[in-house]
Amino acid sequence: MTTTPREILKTYLKANEFWRYHGNTGAIEPTCLGLLALRQESDPEIIFAIQVLHNLQNADGSWPAFAGDDPAGCWTTALVILVLLAVGGRSRALESATHWLVDAKGREANWFWRWKFQTVDKSVQFDPAKYGWSWASGTTSWVIPTAFALIALQQIKNRGLNPTDSVVERIDIGITMLLDRMCPGGGWNAGNGTAFGVPYAPYIDATGIALLALADHAEERGVRASLGWLGNQLPGCPSSYSLAWGILALTAYREISSEVSETVGRATEVLTALIQKGVGTNDICTLAVCTLALEAAEGDNVFEVRE
Amino acid sequence: MIEFDRRRAMIGAAGLAVGGMATARLLPEEMLLRDRRPARSRVAILSEAGYSEGLMDTLVRALRLFNLSLHNKSILLKPNLVEYISGVEVNTNPVLVGAAAEAFLRLGAKRVVVGEGPGHQRDTYLVLFQSGLEDQLRMQKIDFIDLNRDELCKVPTRATYTGMEHLWLPRAVLDSDFVVSMPKIKTHHWAGVTLSMKNMFGVVPGTKYGWPKNVLHWKGIHRSILDICATVPIHFVIADGVIAMEGNGPLHGTHRHLGKIVLANDPVAADFICARLMGLNPSLIWHLDRASRFLGNGLGRIDLIAEGLPQQIVPFDVLPEFVHLKIHA
Repeated sequence: MTTTPREILKTYLKANEFWRYHGNTGAIEPTCLGLLALRQESDPEIIFAIQVLHNLQNADGSWPAFAGDDPAGCWTTALVILVLLAVGGRSRALESATHWLVDAKGREANWFWRWKFQTVDKSVQFDPAKYGWSWASGTTSWVIPTAFALIALQQIKNRGLNPTDSVVERIDIGITMLLDRMCPGGGWNAGNGTAFGVPYAPYIDATGIALLALADHAEERGVRASLGWLGNQLPGCPSSYSLAWGILALTAYREISSEVSETVGRATEVLTALIQKGVGTNDICTLAVCTLALEAAEGDNVFEVRE
Repeated sequence: MIEFDRRRAMIGAAGLAVGGMATARLLPEEMLLRDRRPARSRVAILSEAGYSEGLMDTLVRALRLFNLSLHNKSILLKPNLVEYISGVEVNTNPVLVGAAAEAFLRLGAKRVVVGEGPGHQRDTYLVLFQSGLEDQLRMQKIDFIDLNRDELCKVPTRATYTGMEHLWLPRAVLDSDFVVSMPKIKTHHWAGVTLSMKNMFGVVPGTKYGWPKNVLHWKGIHRSILDICATVPIHFVIADGVIAMEGNGPLHGTHRHLGKIVLANDPVAADFICARLMGLNPSLIWHLDRASRFLGNGLGRIDLIAEGLPQQIVPFDVLPEFVHLKIHA
């Protein structure tokens, strides 16, 4: 009987030449997460899926959201970079993707919008001088695309593939953006921590991905507060997807206290039970993130950003 | 002489074309769109004290008033499922969604599915579970479709307010015979109100437009609402106003026990009546006013086929920038 998320993922891989959310359209996010989860396998289908990813790269170095999408780059570019790093090394595709990612900015990076957010449009409380990455070109920065971009750029820098000033500068500004957008008390919502004077509640997945990006900043008070919030949320989390992101994040901070290690252990048991019950096992992204979380709990975290 | 006339005619034609294009750009968008308003629209206001088991029978009776042709139709219910906030009625109540599904099946529908693409929260299952909708749908064996991650089709927009020539839309919505918008009646900190038209933001996929659908925010919320609702078929509305939200909606407002459910065969008419139930002037809400000029009907062409509007309405609390919407007695 097939029970581990990795085994279920492999059955999807055999059945579909290019992975999708639902229906027949191949999509970049499930393909990337699936490839990251199966990066150590050598099935011909994996080689083929990587080739398909290469073929979908836009002329400007970015990737679209799905096969057949408009040729405008988006947040998935950071995910593809993580795949290219996991399955290979230096390549022309990686180089052009990195350039695109370094140049891509949330709209508030533009002086006009920054001025507007600082003077006129103040219903959402944030510092527009601290910008990151958007989901789609021409929009403002959001937590998850910024966190994925930061993980990708930190891995690129750490491997010596592009340790230039422009990469370092984007990483630094991106880190300040994440810390600026944190919810009061720790954790991250989708974008800002406060709007219309109301503090927003954090989400587990956004908090997990942001903490992965900030793993080299464990000394930050906000990071510690966010870890505390996340640790409290995981025991009762009914969703394998969110739980898996939570485990991935906590494993990156396991050395800071035995309490974090114990939380990872308990959360991993809960995740295994949820998978056995079939929660999320019809979704490639969930299966992939669960596989990566269980792997991270064993000591191999594909989103590691520390040198 | 002939050559001169031809040249003059060509210059004249070019001038007319340029002038025509310039004039067209100066005209309000809805004057360029085909008038799709029905002659009259029907709206049923129902009083309901709470979310009870009797809702299904109430809905069956009310739906019969509309003489809908539902036999063998595939129905997609689109509730407002935003996120879970403990103790706050943010989402369309799961009991009402379940009752609507059962009612449509009772009236001959071939299949009912529920679809939604939450705006901010990427973990759709978590919202589904925490809101109680997962439990409700599982009990009734009704499928849920995550519209943020469905297969997408490129559809030309049927209005021009955002300048977007096409929208990528979920196949589940486009393939359904009958789409029902099921909003929660709430105030909205950007749009003034969120009703059946604003609720359709949820069919726009996050995979393409982000979480929230940030591309559309930058195109303008009112304009995006118009383009989406002109492009996506909305066949019917069941609006949840049993417990509504006033103040800083759509997430952090306060409960308002309105005690009403609103059914309509026209989303514009539904939203006009819902706004009136909120004590707000629908004609001052930009997207409603514009929609009533080409897409659906405003107050003058609506038949209330169940209850009438209450005599006394205390306007909903709104953020300061929307105070002008309040209808004062």
